[in-house]
Amino acid sequence: MGSIELVCPAGSPAMLRAAVEAGADSVYCGLRDETNARNFPGLNFSPAELTEATAWAHGRRAKVLVAINTFARAGETDAWMASVDAAVAAGADAIIAADLAVLAYAHEAHSSLRLHLSVQAAANSADAIAFYAEAYGVRRVVLPRVLSAPEIAALIRETSVEIEAFVFGGLCVMAEGRCALSSYATGRSPNLSGVCSPPEAVTFDRSNGQLTPRLAGLAIDRLGDGEPAGYPTLCKGRFEADGAPGYLFEDPVSLNAMGLLKALATAGVRAVKIEGRQRGKAYVARVAAAFRSAIDALDRGEDTLPYERLLSDLAEGGRETAGAYRKTWR
Amino acid sequence: MRAKGIPRARPGAGARAGDGFLAGAMMVARPPVELALTAALRRAARVRPEVFDRLGRFRDAAFLIAPSDLPVAFRLTPRAAGGRVTVVRRGDPEPCAARISGPLVELLGLFDGSLDADAAFFGRRIDVDGDTGAVVALHNALEAADMSLAELLGLPRFGRRLADLGLDAMLRAARRARPAEG
Repeated sequence: MGSIELVCPAGSPAMLRAAVEAGADSVYCGLRDETNARNFPGLNFSPAELTEATAWAHGRRAKVLVAINTFARAGETDAWMASVDAAVAAGADAIIAADLAVLAYAHEAHSSLRLHLSVQAAANSADAIAFYAEAYGVRRVVLPRVLSAPEIAALIRETSVEIEAFVFGGLCVMAEGRCALSSYATGRSPNLSGVCSPPEAVTFDRSNGQLTPRLAGLAIDRLGDGEPAGYPTLCKGRFEADGAPGYLFEDPVSLNAMGLLKALATAGVRAVKIEGRQRGKAYVARVAAAFRSAIDALDRGEDTLPYERLLSDLAEGGRETAGAYRKTWR
Repeated sequence: MRAKGIPRARPGAGARAGDGFLAGAMMVARPPVELALTAALRRAARVRPEVFDRLGRFRDAAFLIAPSDLPVAFRLTPRAAGGRVTVVRRGDPEPCAARISGPLVELLGLFDGSLDADAAFFGRRIDVDGDTGAVVALHNALEAADMSLAELLGLPRFGRRLADLGLDAMLRAARRARPAEG
């Protein structure tokens, strides 16, 4: 492992193997139910697959982090507790959780289990991080994608908890764990059901050479022939306001902060994370290999520039951004 | 499974001028292709039942795989041991749960996991119609299957390694030869 841990996504055992073989230090994944925030049809691991995949990863000195990061429903927490138990039984190196009940159960029932705070908890201050560390023994916090690189550096100076930051992949509206857009339109949300824009609510209409993605019947964009598309989520929708169409919440672009790796490493970021458990082997193999090369280059004192344009064709909407890490709008 | 979002096509819909002869020839030659692909599908169901479990409620759904550069399409019904692949004309009027269309090289890359499906969608290189949940389930099941093209096509075990090398080289060449998109 280099100076900074590379954490990659896995939606299946095959994707986990692809990630590790391409250079991931750690892989995060979820069980096949509503306890993780990528609860899509056909995705994720059965408990038996998780056990087998964890042993395979450990054999290659890679860690497995299990995301149990949706919010448990009051009075129905059994599924979340069962997922924690299954992760422990599988030999997971850590679980990634956001919900207080899940964190409390994991901390009490499995005192030696390493806990990472999910981005879904949106902990973006030293005080918030200190609370999770003191109350539940959280060892690492995945930061919400709202802070600039200097803000992250300042935050790290105020905490001893490990910090993990997203560096590549899809972006959420900057209210992680609190977004109700999908739930408003479909009744299901990433926070509670593990799905943003559940696929059964998504349709694509074609007429007059235009493609109209719809969510629960609501038109969320209208794309011309060959115009790059984004995910069919309301936050990436293009709507008309004051007579002009535009992306009111956020543009359909992907995060690529490879150019900020050095700044993040210097700030003390312990691990960098790639988004995209729903993508696949081809995606994770390319992204992990590119970031592995960039991190290794940094460790040799070289520039990451040669690797920064390797992944542009994977971007949502065909465009990349450094997001909040460079707050150019300020 | 009844089609959710794809209306019955008119007979001949989607046909292109000049496709008629080629489509006719491919339809005449389809029995061995259907036999081989169906046998491969059923073999996969025997050897890798967990892959079919990933399809969940879409196990019995019909998928239309429609290469935009061929006058025929492939109708895939996973249904495990009773699974079936048939070759149909592009405007096949039978209902299906979902249709995935795009250039053949892209579709093959999606089936063996060598291409990123989301990037292909962002770049508008593939289109999906019908029940998006069925498409997502099929994509995830294929990803987890981790099967090479030679396995998917039902080629004999002894020549698979060589066949995969050849198929991979052909697909890479075909992709390089296509004009840049998206």
